[in-house]
Amino acid sequence: MHAALYVSKTGLTAQDKQLSTIANNLANSSTVGFKRDRAVFEDLLYQIQRQPGAQTTQETQLPSGLQLGVGARVVGTQKQFTEGSLQVTEQSLDVAVDGRGFLPIQQADGTTAYTRNGQLHLNREGQMVTAEGLLLQPTIAVPNNANTVTIGTDGTVTAKVLGEPEPQAIGTIQLVDFVNPAGLQAIGSNLFVQTASSGEPIEGTPGENGLGQIKQGMLENSNVNIVEEMVNMITTQRAYEMNSKVVSTADQMLQYITQNL
Amino acid sequence: MDKALYIAMTGAKHNMRGQTSHANNLANSNTGGFKADFSQARSMPVYYGAGMPTRAYALAELGGTNLSSGTLDQTGRDLDVAIHGEGFIAVQGRDGQEAYTRAGSLDIDSQGILRTASGLMVLGNGGPINIPPAQKVEFGEDGTISVHAQGQTAAALVQIDRIKLVKPDLNTVSKGPDGLFHILSNPAGSTLPADANVKLIGGSLENSNVNAVQELTGLLTLARQYEMHVKMMSTVEKNSESAARLLQLNA
Repeated sequence: MHAALYVSKTGLTAQDKQLSTIANNLANSSTVGFKRDRAVFEDLLYQIQRQPGAQTTQETQLPSGLQLGVGARVVGTQKQFTEGSLQVTEQSLDVAVDGRGFLPIQQADGTTAYTRNGQLHLNREGQMVTAEGLLLQPTIAVPNNANTVTIGTDGTVTAKVLGEPEPQAIGTIQLVDFVNPAGLQAIGSNLFVQTASSGEPIEGTPGENGLGQIKQGMLENSNVNIVEEMVNMITTQRAYEMNSKVVSTADQMLQYITQNL
Repeated sequence: MDKALYIAMTGAKHNMRGQTSHANNLANSNTGGFKADFSQARSMPVYYGAGMPTRAYALAELGGTNLSSGTLDQTGRDLDVAIHGEGFIAVQGRDGQEAYTRAGSLDIDSQGILRTASGLMVLGNGGPINIPPAQKVEFGEDGTISVHAQGQTAAALVQIDRIKLVKPDLNTVSKGPDGLFHILSNPAGSTLPADANVKLIGGSLENSNVNAVQELTGLLTLARQYEMHVKMMSTVEKNSESAARLLQLNA
C-alpha cells in the first residue's frame, strides 16, 4: 500500500498527542503550582531504499540515493519547571516556594510525594495538610488555641497562643530539591514522585544551598502561558489538517488506480 | 506486453516514493530542529544499441536536505538552545560516533549529564558534559556553560565546559538514517574541530524548517502525475485489447 499513508499516520498521532498536552496545559492554567508540559518530537528512522554512491555501471555511480523517512513520533513530554508568578492571598497557611524546591508530602501509603502547591490547611488534629488531606512532612501541628501562625522565609513556623507573650516555635517546613526536576513523575493532584531519572531527593532548609525561600501569604500561579498555548494549538491543528490531507490524497490515488485499471 | 506499461508503472511507483518523502516532511512540520528533505526524479534510460531510445525509467531520489534555518521560538527555558545561522551541536549518536543536530531542547539527567531531548549525550571540549547540581545554568553565545552552583553566591559563577559547536562545509553534510547529520567524506571515528564562530542563543528553540504549503503542493502535483501514469497504463491496456480483438477470427 502507499507508504505515505503510514508516514502521515505517525504525523497525525504526534499532532494528536501534542494537542492533548496543550489541552491539559490550558485546563490547568489556573491550577496553583502547576508546571506546563511540552511534547518533544523526533523524526523516526530513515529507510535506505537506495544507497547513495551505488554503481550504475562499472564507470558511473548514482550521485544521490533514496532515503525515506518513516514519520515523526513524540519522544516524551518535558515538564517545564520555570516559575509561575506569585500571587498574594493574605492567607496565613498559603505558602509559595520562591525559587527551587518542593514541599514533601506524605501520601496515604506512607511514601513521599512532592508538590509546589502551597495551599495548606489544618486537619482535625491541627496538623498541616494539603487540600487532599495529605500530611506535610515533617508534620507540623498548630496548637488549637493558637491565635496567629507565622511562617518565616527559612520555613520556621511559629504560633502565637492567646495569653502568652512569646510566640512559640512549632516546627520547620523543609524543602526538597532534585538534580533533574524534569525527570519527576507527575502523579496528578499536583504531586510528583521521584524516579530514576530525577535523582535522589536533596533535603534542605529553605533559602539555603540554592533552595528557594518560603513566602507566607502567597501562592505560585500556574506557569502556563495562555498565548503560547493558543499559538501552539493553531500550528498543531494546521499540521494535523495537512497530514490528513496527505492521507486523503493517498487514498484518492489508490481509488483511482483500482477504478481505472 | 507493450513496454510502455512498465515505464508508466515505474513512473507511478516512484511518484509514490516521492510523495512518501513529502509526507515525512509534513509529519515533521512540528519537530524541533528538523530539516526538510528534497526529493527529485531522475530518468534512467535503458540502452539497447542503435534505435530510438524510448525506454527511460523514472528513479526517485533525495536531492539532499534543506539546511536553511527554521524560525526561532522563544521558550524562556534555561536548557533550550538554538543556533543562529550556520552550525551544528555535536552529540554522541546511538552508534557511539560523533553526529550533529540542530535540535537544542536539552535536559540534565540524574547523573548530571547534559543530554538532548531524545537522550543523546551532548559533547563538550572533552566528551560528555557533566553539570554539577546547579541553581541556574547559562549558555554563552559560543557555547560556554556557566553554572551558578547550589549554595554559592551569584557572584561565584563557574565556567565548567563548552558545548562543542561545529561549522562543517554544508556540501559535506548529509542526514543519516538516524535523523542526525553526519559528514559524508569523513572516515568513521573522525570528528570535526569546534568552531568559535557558531552563535548559540539561549532560551530559544529552532522550529522545523518545513514549508508546509510547498510540501502539500508538491504532494498534490505528484498525485496528478500519478493519475496520468495510471491513465497511460489503462491506455496501454486498451491498445492491447484492440490488438487482441483484431486477431480474433470471428470478431
